[in-house]
Amino acid sequence: MLETRYAYSMQPVAAARPDERGLVERLRAGDERAFEELVDHHAAPLLAVTRRILRDEEEARDAVQEAFVAAFRSIGDFQIESRLSTWMHRIAVNCALMKLRVRERRREKDVDELLPHFQADGHQQQSSVGWKESVEDVLQREQSRALVRECIDRLPESYRVVLVLRDIEQLPPDVVAEKLQITRDNLKVKLHRARQALRTLLDPHMRGAT
Amino acid sequence: MSHVTCIELISFLDAYVAEELDAETRTTFDLHLIVCPSCRAYLASYEETIDLVRGVAEKEEELAHDAPPELIEAVKHVKR
Ligand SMILES: [Zn+2]
Repeated sequence: MLETRYAYSMQPVAAARPDERGLVERLRAGDERAFEELVDHHAAPLLAVTRRILRDEEEARDAVQEAFVAAFRSIGDFQIESRLSTWMHRIAVNCALMKLRVRERRREKDVDELLPHFQADGHQQQSSVGWKESVEDVLQREQSRALVRECIDRLPESYRVVLVLRDIEQLPPDVVAEKLQITRDNLKVKLHRARQALRTLLDPHMRGAT
Repeated sequence: MSHVTCIELISFLDAYVAEELDAETRTTFDLHLIVCPSCRAYLASYEETIDLVRGVAEKEEELAHDAPPELIEAVKHVKR
């Protein structure tokens, strides 16, 4: 019943592919064409990442631009044993988080009211009911995907970001804790709460299916 | 933890799905799940929530395949 896929980051840690090696060497040599190849290849997936974190098109594009500049400047630090895509991914996450930090801190609502409630004897106050449709079926329809997206966006920002970095980008917990400057314990609590809060937001739609 | 109720199970559900619980605790959780349909439903929807989050992101990436050309151009231009 249980699946290990939630246990840890599934980021590929495989070594650079042979074709990447050549590209990295050309990048290090300052080859203009190599930089363009890098951009053509990685711009789209990186934009998806920064969009998910920032939820603002303009900021997301700026973050991608900054990520490429940062990557090009620090290509000397790139470890040839790692994957270029993993490395670029981390840089883009950093650039997006930097922008997030600069944003004016809005007073954040807490997620308490979206967490499950219990009776004095430890039982759930309201019984949970299974969801009607399979995840696959829900994902088929654009309308219900938009609904899920809307619910994610309704989470308070610090919870949303934890959810994105851990459950979507699948960065390892220690990396996320460090980037967000919170303890690992705090991160654990936040992720669990974020998932529970999102579950609550989805529940009324999923019970009856959309 | 010889006896658990919904509150313990749900509080440690993240550790349960990540398989981070010791064998004994895990067994008591499994036993609670057998007798508690509400927690079974909660567990299932908790896992489905994670799958939906990931699934929506994957689908978005799939559909938006190309980065906007103006962005590509801008990035290349910055470098020059
Ligand atoms: Zn229960």
